[in-house]
Amino acid sequence: MSNLIDYINFSSPRWPVFSRVLAATFGGYALAIASSLLISQLLVHVTGKYQAIHIGLILTFLVYVCAAMWVFSVKTAKKAWIGLLKSIFFCLALTWLLAKITGVAN
Amino acid sequence: MLVLISFSFAAMMLFCLAMTKHRKQVLEDEISSLTVRFFRPFAWLLLLFTGYLSVDMYGWSIGPALFFGALTIAILLLILLLTYRAKIVPPLAVIMPLIASIGIFIN
Amino acid sequence: MKDSFRQSMKWFHTWVGLIVGWVLFFMFLTGTLGYFYQEITRWMEPERPFIEHNISNERLLDIAQAYLINNAQGVDEWDIMLPSVRDQNLRVGWRHPAEAGKKRGKYKIKVLDANTGDEIERRATGGGRLLYRMHYRFHYLPTEISYWIVGFCSMLMLLAVITGVVIHKKIFTDFFTFRAKKGLLGWLDIHNVLSVIALPFHFMITYSGLLFFLFTYMVLSTNLQTNEDELDAMLDEIYPRTAHLEKANQAAKMLDISILYQQAKTTWQADELSYVEMFAANDVNAHVLFVRHETDITYNPEDEVMVNAVTGELILQKPKEYTVTSMIHNGFFSLHEGHFAGSIARWIYFFTGLIGSAMIASGLILWTTKRKPKQLKNPNGPDFGYRLVEQLNIGTIVGLPIAIAMYFYANRLLPVDMANRVNWEANVMFISWAMLLIYPIFRPANKAWYEQLTLAALVYFALPLVNVLTTNKHLGNSLLQQDWNLAGFDLTLLVVGGCFAFAAYKFRALQVNIRPSKQAIKKVEKQCVQAMNESLLPLQQVNKDQC
Repeated sequence: MSNLIDYINFSSPRWPVFSRVLAATFGGYALAIASSLLISQLLVHVTGKYQAIHIGLILTFLVYVCAAMWVFSVKTAKKAWIGLLKSIFFCLALTWLLAKITGVAN
Repeated sequence: MLVLISFSFAAMMLFCLAMTKHRKQVLEDEISSLTVRFFRPFAWLLLLFTGYLSVDMYGWSIGPALFFGALTIAILLLILLLTYRAKIVPPLAVIMPLIASIGIFIN
Repeated sequence: MKDSFRQSMKWFHTWVGLIVGWVLFFMFLTGTLGYFYQEITRWMEPERPFIEHNISNERLLDIAQAYLINNAQGVDEWDIMLPSVRDQNLRVGWRHPAEAGKKRGKYKIKVLDANTGDEIERRATGGGRLLYRMHYRFHYLPTEISYWIVGFCSMLMLLAVITGVVIHKKIFTDFFTFRAKKGLLGWLDIHNVLSVIALPFHFMITYSGLLFFLFTYMVLSTNLQTNEDELDAMLDEIYPRTAHLEKANQAAKMLDISILYQQAKTTWQADELSYVEMFAANDVNAHVLFVRHETDITYNPEDEVMVNAVTGELILQKPKEYTVTSMIHNGFFSLHEGHFAGSIARWIYFFTGLIGSAMIASGLILWTTKRKPKQLKNPNGPDFGYRLVEQLNIGTIVGLPIAIAMYFYANRLLPVDMANRVNWEANVMFISWAMLLIYPIFRPANKAWYEQLTLAALVYFALPLVNVLTTNKHLGNSLLQQDWNLAGFDLTLLVVGGCFAFAAYKFRALQVNIRPSKQAIKKVEKQCVQAMNESLLPLQQVNKDQC
């Protein structure tokens, strides 16, 4: 077991990259989903429920692209994760708030 | 379609000639910098005109798509000619639209 | 991540392109061929007759209906596909009864001889349809897994396109630059040029590709916001369907389709039928839908005419309602598939698709070219990663086109009555590709490139010859019959062969230029020795450069 620990070089520069890959892949996906919820909530009174959801869905790919690009340009992997989590929380919180205010159930 | 490609070619050539580096490739004589200043605006006008022509010929639905297609071919042709046969670009940019326009009027 | 945003994005663009570059090349190439999938299928079923000029639509409808009455009794819904610019044969199709254990029967198409009305026995083949469907349903994988892998690759492609624009610093100043003879810079210019000239297409194709499986990829979002009924309602709104009368289970006599067609002709003021769909045949509620060719990326209600099959009256349909987002969504689909495209537009789609494939290929080649000088200096030979990329490049960029040609060879050479013929045509393609991927392992890169390029040229030149030897639908006959689609296929093969031959020739020429020939070396040596012997001048004054 200790051989394995010796073999995995924890200070290799590859770990932050791997961390960013995870952040971009899964964190980015989560942010895309969260943003689609927010967008639908923002538009639901303007366009009707189905179109609002539809628009939110179509834009998810753009959000994902921006998230992935952002993750790989910030200074550290830690910043990337924190930033993603903050954005996801912000989207979800705003969605919940809007739902409460406008009284539209999800 | 040929009309679209020809006019796009002429427009892109004007953009290209507005740059000194390419002007030297293509033309033997110097052109006054006053004339060069008009190349870009005129090129934009020509491009807009070609876009309008495409929508007029093919409708709003597929006109834009075909316009971009014509642009792609025109730019590729221009770049290949610039690399291998730079001198024929200006005459071609005049002759092609002429022939294409005559073709349209005949049809 | 790196010092500047642009540098980080450059790193990102390189890695994103490298990880899935070869898969994307496969997707782009097979997808591009899909723009001509009907033409490819026609070539791959040489039993189909040549184009028949001058048979009226009414006569074709009569022939088709006669066949269907005899052979499709009891079938409620069937279709007649008229010969078109793309597929010159009369076809009928209907869903056959389900086999044991399956929910739905298979929809089968029969090709009819327009003169005799008989069915034409064709060899079993996947045709162009199987080839292009591979670009989103990888052949040996279950479709669900394929969709996810395709989605992952398409997402990376979208990232590559957008980061590519961001990092292209001199996108306007270098717009027209192509430094042809300068090695690495030349490849960079090619990659840039190919990306920029068709940038709207690349973005559209990638985004629309992702939209195809929107509800699969974003299932989490729809689950959180809708229940099943709402989801169905939403999908109905996004993909509206024509409303149809249900079968009333009361038999009634139908009028001839050719007579019913007159209604459509009057509505359209033109004789331009594409296909016919029959619903609730031989029933009181029997009705026929006449559809003409799409010429738009948006829905055109006049493209469809519904006629009551018993009374011959026009049924006024409520046009399908598209919401704005639904129009955008379906508009993207229409742009991606290009059904609306006429001949010229279709060739432009094909050419632009090839530009996309070449963009990916040039990017991959750029990667190795950039690292080549450093790798060659390596004392133990090039790194594993570099060698892997180079071999994959050779095996895919040249190997895949050869494999596709092998698919066509298999179509001509496999026995017609062979079991599982459809699968075996595809197997031949993938086995060839595998061999061509393994081959570069055993050869030095330069030799492998040249040999595969030459092989590709030979393979494509020989295919029309094999066509002559195995069928009567070869170039000579198709030109005589003015069957331009069939002729076009063989001619395209020859052009592709020519391109590969040119590439092989250029590759060889560039290799020779890099190393001075033996003669040149000998000449310089001789001059040195002569100078040293003859001259009475001290040694230092002999031209140091030459020696």
